[in-house]
Amino acid sequence: MLREIVEVANKLNAAHDKISLTQQADRGAPWAPKLSTYLKLDPSVIPVAPALCTHCSMSWSGFKKSVNRAGTTLLQKTGQIERTVDREFADEEAKYKVFEKECQALQKDGKAYWDSLRAMSAAQTRIAETIETFYGAADRSSDGAMASHAYKRSVDDMDGGFQRELDAPYRTTIAEPLGKMCAYFPVINEHISKRNKKLLDYDSARSKMRKLIDKPSEDPTKLPRAQQEHDETKEMFETLNVQLIEELPQLMDLRVPYFDPSFEAMIRMQAKFAEEGYEKLSGVQRYFEDSVRDDYAAGQLDAQVEGVLQEMRELSICGGN
Amino acid sequence: MKGLAKAVKRTPFMVTSKVGMSKKTTDPEFDDYQRHFADMEKAAEQLLKDTKAFMDAVTGLFTAGTGFATHYATIFRPIGGEFDLIGKHPEAGHTIKNVDKFEAAMDDLRTACIPELELIESRIVGPTKELQVIMKQIRKTITKREHKLVDYDRFNNSLTKLRDKKDKSLSDEKNLFKLEQDFEVATSEYDYINTALKQDMPRFMQLATQFIDPLFHSFFYMQLNIFYILLEKTNSFGEEAKMDIANRPGSQIAEEYEARRGDIIAAVENLQIIKRIISVSRLVQANRAGAGLGRAPSTATTSSTSSSLRAPPPMRSVSSSSSFKKSPPPPPGPPLAAPPPYTPSIGGQAAAASALTKRPPPPPPLKPKPKPASPPRQYVVALYDFVAQADGDLSFRTGDRIELVQRTASSEDWWTGKLNGQQGVFPGNYVQDT
Repeated sequence: MLREIVEVANKLNAAHDKISLTQQADRGAPWAPKLSTYLKLDPSVIPVAPALCTHCSMSWSGFKKSVNRAGTTLLQKTGQIERTVDREFADEEAKYKVFEKECQALQKDGKAYWDSLRAMSAAQTRIAETIETFYGAADRSSDGAMASHAYKRSVDDMDGGFQRELDAPYRTTIAEPLGKMCAYFPVINEHISKRNKKLLDYDSARSKMRKLIDKPSEDPTKLPRAQQEHDETKEMFETLNVQLIEELPQLMDLRVPYFDPSFEAMIRMQAKFAEEGYEKLSGVQRYFEDSVRDDYAAGQLDAQVEGVLQEMRELSICGGN
Repeated sequence: MKGLAKAVKRTPFMVTSKVGMSKKTTDPEFDDYQRHFADMEKAAEQLLKDTKAFMDAVTGLFTAGTGFATHYATIFRPIGGEFDLIGKHPEAGHTIKNVDKFEAAMDDLRTACIPELELIESRIVGPTKELQVIMKQIRKTITKREHKLVDYDRFNNSLTKLRDKKDKSLSDEKNLFKLEQDFEVATSEYDYINTALKQDMPRFMQLATQFIDPLFHSFFYMQLNIFYILLEKTNSFGEEAKMDIANRPGSQIAEEYEARRGDIIAAVENLQIIKRIISVSRLVQANRAGAGLGRAPSTATTSSTSSSLRAPPPMRSVSSSSSFKKSPPPPPGPPLAAPPPYTPSIGGQAAAASALTKRPPPPPPLKPKPKPASPPRQYVVALYDFVAQADGDLSFRTGDRIELVQRTASSEDWWTGKLNGQQGVFPGNYVQDT
């Protein structure tokens, strides 16, 4: 079975070499022999291989990389390959992770907040409609019906104003900046995972080079080749690493001016919603009898409700007698 | 069992009356009441549902509001080993100082509304449910009337048919007698229940209006109270935080937001890590091409990489030294500008180009280290608005002419100047020489 895999690897590798001429960085590494050394070296890598190629349409070079990296991780775990530790990066990544989590939570709550406002406004208009139905069942010209009509108008007005005035600003000041920021995270995470992969490549190439230095091979071309691979992987890793170490703090720093203006806007929108809602709603009181407010405060209205319910129960059609 | 037997007996009639073979009595007056009643049943159902939706929305609003405030506050607190956010972002100082209060205010709001919601539950939802129980009783009575009506029509039909029959047999005569009796019973039962309904339904409708009156008023005040609490808490927070929250059109809120935000989005978009990696090798090549320009680590602090918010686009090229991207030649302008921050020089050309486009001014550098200087009387012109962040700072607006009292070699420092008889310090990179 091992032989079969290596054969396939060789065939595919030939095809790959043609392709990789256009991708200079990938060139020069004799992958197939390397694959076979890993397989000989540590048979426990084998189960990884089928799993990797069945679950996606991974390219051959991607597959090779995965196998190699799996091997490197394994060897690092057993202490055979030294692992590069970069405290600076780890610190920045940790901070970034906190920021990412908070931003996502903020986006979720921001949306929930807005959806609730909208739902509240919509529920009000439906309630007003229903209350009108109740009056409609008996008399349409009573004081109560008039008040319910005024109430309906005021909540409709509120709902309309809300959609007209606050929907767009909300999107501009809260939803869009948050959405934008949250959309960056997957890309940044891709940079991080790329960096981690390149680090594995680098660790592996370095270890190979050192081994060749410690125990020179009979083939004089091996060391320069290993040297070159080491340099290439190192440069790739460092390009990504340096960029992350430089830019993650910048992103973290920018978060303050980036989100700062949303604060004022958020408070202003909430204040606007509250103020207009209160004003529109309180205007309906004009249609109430003067005593209603005090009756409400004194709990009289509840007693009235109870009284009416009791009277209803006594009706003969309710089985009252 | 009795009910089932009755149902079986009624079925043939139901079928024949449906296809129009039998006569069916209608009572327009009752039908009218019944229609109203059905509307009310629906209305009660609807009211319950919407009240529930309203309560859920209010609860959701304050829960999400509190969550929003909490996460927002976390973002504006130092993360990890960060320190002195205000020092780095003086223009956001107000927000940084107030996020904790905001969090507390939103939490307060949530708690303050709980009693109102409980009131709605017990005083609106409760009685409406009781009303539903009563209406179910009435519905039962209506169904009973339907049944009695079917009986009435059934016997009536049979009786008429039998009476009209020309040659009655003996058993027909017997049946006729029995049917007459049945019909009499059915008539009286139907009449009784129909009359009762016709009497009580209008009364019930009236009572329903009396019921909805106080219920509506109660709900109205509870709802008004929620808005009041929201308004009051928001206002008191605004006052405490010294914020201008006077009502203004929504579009103005967005405009003021955008003005304050400046071109910070462009600053974020300049970062390379938010751009997808297409090929690492290409990245490496680009990096190699740009190497030597920005490879040396910079001594500039991160503060010089941040950008100010309310920034008009700067007009002098020196501000490009504060950009994230290295611009190739050393900037002209004041000597000894701070060394550029290290920048990954991928795509150095694009970066240089973008450095020429809009760029917010750098935030003021850290606080003054007095340095000797011997200035002749000299004026500078403000490039941007600057608002004092501490005692001893000099505020000014774009275009103001400031008399220089003391300047340092670097524009990345605090200079001293006089304006309108006031003396104070200000960031040297906010002004340009006349």
